[in-house]
Amino acid sequence: MHFGGIYEDETVGKIYDRRLMGRFVGYVAPYRRLIVVALLLLPFIAASKLAQPWILKMAIDSHITKGVMAGLPSLATGFLGIILAESLFSFAEVYLLQYVGQKVMYDIRVQLFSHLQRLSARFFDQTPVGSLVSRLTSDIEVVGEMFAAGIVTVVGDVLVLAGIVGIMLWMNVRLSLVTFSVLPLLIWVAFTFRNWMRVAFRQVRSRQANLSAFLAESIGGMAVVQLFNRERDEAREFRRLNSSYMEANLPVITWDAALYAVVESLSSIAVALIIWYGGGEIVKGNLSFGALVAFIQYIEKFFSPIRDMSAKYSVMQGAMASLERIFGLLDKEGKEPESKPQPPGPSAPAPKQGLQQICFKDIWFAYSDEDYVLKGFSLEMRRGEKVALVGETGGGKTTVTRLLSRLYEINRGSIAIDGVDIREMSLQSLRRRIGVVLQDPYLFSGTIEYNISLGDPEALQRVEQAAAMVGADRFIRELPKGYQEEVRERGVNFSAGERQLISFARAVAFDPEILVLDEATASVDTASERLIQQGLEGLMQGRTTLVVAHRLSTIRDADRIVVIHRGEKAEEGTHAELMSAKALYYRLYQLQFKD
Amino acid sequence: MLNCRGAYILGAVLLVGTNLCGLAIPWLMKLAIEGLQAPTSQGRFTPAQYGGMIAVAAVAQGVIRVFSRTTLLNAGRRIEFLLREDLYGKLLTLDRTYFSNWRTGDILSRLANDLTNVRMLLGFGVLSLLNTVVVYTAALFLLTRISPFLTICAIAPFPLMIYIVKRLSASMFRCSKRMQEALSRLTARVEENVSAASVVKAYCREEGEIETFRQACGGYLEASMGVARLRGWMLPVMASTGAFGTLIVLFIGGGQVIRGELTLGGFVAFNGYLAMLVWPTIMFGWILNLMQRGAASMTRLGEILHASAEVVEPDEPVDPGVIEGGIEYRNLTFSYGTAKMLRGINLKIRKGERIGIVGVVGSGKSTLVRLIPRLFPIADGTLFVDGIDLNRISLDKVRSAVGFVPQESFLFSRSIADNIGYGKPGATREEIERAARIAGLAGDIARFPQGFETLVGERGVTLSGGQKQRVAIARALIKEPSILILDDPLSAVDADTEEEILSALSGYYGERTVLIVSHRLSPLRGCDRIIVMEQGAIVEQGNHAELLELGGRYEAIHREEQLKAEIERL
Ligand SMILES: Nc1ncnc2c1ncn2[C@@H]1O[C@H](COP(=O)(O)OP(=O)(O)OP(=O)(O)O)[C@@H](O)[C@H]1O
Ligand SMILES: Nc1ncnc2c1ncn2[C@@H]1O[C@H](COP(=O)(O)OP(=O)(O)OP(=O)(O)O)[C@@H](O)[C@H]1O
Ligand SMILES: [Mg+2]
Ligand SMILES: [Mg+2]
Repeated sequence: MHFGGIYEDETVGKIYDRRLMGRFVGYVAPYRRLIVVALLLLPFIAASKLAQPWILKMAIDSHITKGVMAGLPSLATGFLGIILAESLFSFAEVYLLQYVGQKVMYDIRVQLFSHLQRLSARFFDQTPVGSLVSRLTSDIEVVGEMFAAGIVTVVGDVLVLAGIVGIMLWMNVRLSLVTFSVLPLLIWVAFTFRNWMRVAFRQVRSRQANLSAFLAESIGGMAVVQLFNRERDEAREFRRLNSSYMEANLPVITWDAALYAVVESLSSIAVALIIWYGGGEIVKGNLSFGALVAFIQYIEKFFSPIRDMSAKYSVMQGAMASLERIFGLLDKEGKEPESKPQPPGPSAPAPKQGLQQICFKDIWFAYSDEDYVLKGFSLEMRRGEKVALVGETGGGKTTVTRLLSRLYEINRGSIAIDGVDIREMSLQSLRRRIGVVLQDPYLFSGTIEYNISLGDPEALQRVEQAAAMVGADRFIRELPKGYQEEVRERGVNFSAGERQLISFARAVAFDPEILVLDEATASVDTASERLIQQGLEGLMQGRTTLVVAHRLSTIRDADRIVVIHRGEKAEEGTHAELMSAKALYYRLYQLQFKD
Repeated sequence: MLNCRGAYILGAVLLVGTNLCGLAIPWLMKLAIEGLQAPTSQGRFTPAQYGGMIAVAAVAQGVIRVFSRTTLLNAGRRIEFLLREDLYGKLLTLDRTYFSNWRTGDILSRLANDLTNVRMLLGFGVLSLLNTVVVYTAALFLLTRISPFLTICAIAPFPLMIYIVKRLSASMFRCSKRMQEALSRLTARVEENVSAASVVKAYCREEGEIETFRQACGGYLEASMGVARLRGWMLPVMASTGAFGTLIVLFIGGGQVIRGELTLGGFVAFNGYLAMLVWPTIMFGWILNLMQRGAASMTRLGEILHASAEVVEPDEPVDPGVIEGGIEYRNLTFSYGTAKMLRGINLKIRKGERIGIVGVVGSGKSTLVRLIPRLFPIADGTLFVDGIDLNRISLDKVRSAVGFVPQESFLFSRSIADNIGYGKPGATREEIERAARIAGLAGDIARFPQGFETLVGERGVTLSGGQKQRVAIARALIKEPSILILDDPLSAVDADTEEEILSALSGYYGERTVLIVSHRLSPLRGCDRIIVMEQGAIVEQGNHAELLELGGRYEAIHREEQLKAEIERL
């Protein structure tokens, strides 16, 4: 058994640093003031760093070698002051940059999340929850690490580096050139490693997503795993994913270690070169002794920002790999369709008047490719009508209700409300008119009240009324905290029927013009069902209702019954008409009430 | 974990090696400088030779460095791997009670983000700590060789630093924990939002969802800044401690050189070693930070690792041999929380008997049947299978004897064949097809372009309600259990398909004990006995005719269904 199938996250594509970075800078730009402040601090930090060996050199050259003690205390005081200043500046620096980093992460997160809200139902059908979770959490964390590692201070490192190079050149050009001779090797290494690192990091990120997807699913299905004694198999599968994640990390560690070692060794080799070369110069009398010592100190200083940068290098490559994934999701096609709102003219709908008519015209629809689920389905519903959809399971009833809410785009045909194509309405205004009881009720963690109102202020007013209408108030009132009773994730602390009633109450509380009941009472007992029907009778007046039901007793009073068979409308008419036609409906009916 | 200890020891040895090379370099420098200062005297090597030696040491240092780092960091990864495995292994043993108290997103966050913190501590943290310790000891050793007095002066500021850092650490732990909790909440928000995409869309809740997400992000931002503040303080404390040392040395050591108590070369080397300490000292602050974060995260992981399942394997399992399927509830009382859900259930089901269960919403039907595969804990001596207390039979045995179709079908995002085959490891295609046929799925599957290989999406989202339900039935049937439990198995299926399934099932039942929960009476046709539940108690039982005669609740349900049928016939 192989987890995930087509869902397995794959890593593809070339490396586009410039574009990625450019785009990322766009997120940082709003905080440029803070960054500028942080950058302004850098010269001070750099200067205080640079001044320290300089003071040492002065101390050695003009005091210690000469045996002059006077003036040393003031040098020491200066040294102390510089250190204190450096500390304060670094604190401000770290804090500011962390703040910017957190803000940027916040912005990216909220943007990504908002984007997710606009993606189509089809996208959610195909994307595992866990992998989206991993993008919104760990991937963004990795980007944040870039700030924690102080990516912005690279500017500072470069500055320090430039300063040191300047001083070194000023002190002694030839010694400097000898020192710099090791750099080409370093640059070559950095560039060679870049691609390898990135490829490795991409693999790390996508395998982490797989792990997270597996885990999320597995937690949801733990009861099934346990019921079927499949713990060992799941553990094996988990181990496979876990170890492939670990293995993806190993090359990253190797490249990183190699880069670190190269930088470290090169700094010592530079010292060796200087001793070899500078030693000769001293012997020849071309170089002062203090200058050589100070120069060696500067080599240390010269390599310290390089070492810093190389440490950030791999963090940055990791962040780039995560940015690719984040931007990849942001660029994801398959957004929900934008509406083409009609110009406010004579043809604009007049919502005040209320809904008059819904018209499905020759709908062709396939979830994928050419595999049509609905084939030329047509249906007309008028104001106040109750239309029932019945038929074989998998026939396409739920699909019809989804198309009405425009969760999916139809391939051919049209759905119009009062003569206006739903593609010309905004999704918001369309969906606000429809109250759906989904076939699989979903409850959020929160309170019962929240689950009925979903935080909508208007619906909040009608919570109790709605619950009473669907007969949910009976069990809610018996709960210790009533409507404030806690609902756990997915409503696990309620029975299936109770969940369904709450979800039914939700649809009613939103007071929609069109009520869509997709098997809304499938998990409810017959007596409660009758109570619901009585409760709803008043509500359905003046509203258009589309009922999907297998239990034919629920639809006895429908104005019209439509039988869907394999995506096509097989029969349509009132109960009496269909009974006398003695076809599909008649057969279903006979089966259900045969004794 | 043992081979990890080996890796740590090897890594530590390599680290000592690389640091020895590293320390040799300033030592060689010292010799070289002393040689240059007095070119004529006992200088044994030329500057070029010194340079060569330094270069050799540098290359050696680099090579060993690669090995030490990879050894240690890989060990960190390895432990992360093992820890994650343990965590998942633990999750597999936990029961429903546990999972209903935890949010999925929280668990996900712990297994990703908290584990990362722990790994950072065990990989990078340990590496840096070892490095720091090695560098410190070596440098201190060399420093005392040059001048014990100056050494004491140089490390004089350290106790103060340790004191400050200790103060900061405790708050670091608290702040880190708060930050991880905030991240958990954020993760849970995402998880829930994505899972509920269809509801969010249907009710246009996008704006509201974004708003609550924004709040979760804001909470996280705030918590993170708390940590950043502390981190910010750590850095200057560390940096200035090192620098104070240098300052003292400069002041006192300089005097010593002037007075001729110390050679200049010695002084330069001393400063060199001291400079080597600056970086590790700063690192040390960072390690402390990592340690606190790691510790905070580890406590959070500990909450999973030390969670105890309430449904546990018996201490001394009784081997029932083959479970035949006799079930007895003996004065069973059960509660999910404090309120009693099932009270005083007495029910004896003979092997091979078929029991129907009806009752209003929330009357405890699902609860009653869930207890048989021990999804929830029960008291000893209340539930017996084949006359043996259920709590004394190993979970494995019980569960392999029970075929369970939950009221809500959960499918895995695998193919239909894999989902059906889930009930029986290594099931052949024939067996899968047979189970699918009994469950009335054959027609649907034949219509799918990819047939049995069709992928069903997470939780089976790309199937219709009835298809999902039937896959779940097939999954239980393929197991060939001696006890078959069907919790409202045909609620999403039309009358035609229902008829088809029921007649196929009646051939399948054979000697099996069967419990069917249903709201409609049609699936209960052919049951030997029907049980009516109300408020967690059995209020009526008997066969169809007896119950009708009794004229109680069952009769009312029956009348209701018939009444509707009559009205229609008119
Ligand atoms: N999200 C989806 N992606 C791909 N295919 C789907 C999706 N949802 C449903 N289908 C397929 O479309 C067909 C019709 O499904 P639909 O849910 O509309 O049936 P239904 O009439 O509601 O059935 P039921 O009575 O079982 O709920 C089924 O064959 C199903 O497998
Ligand atoms: N995991 C749980 N934690 C706490 N309470 C629960 C839990 N599961 C169910 N309950 C409560 O126990 C009662 C009985 O639930 P149960 O699922 O057994 O009812 P049921 O008879 O199967 O109802 P339905 O017909 O709706 O399926 C309900 O009131 C429900 O709120
Ligand atoms: Mg459906
Ligand atoms: Mg139930």
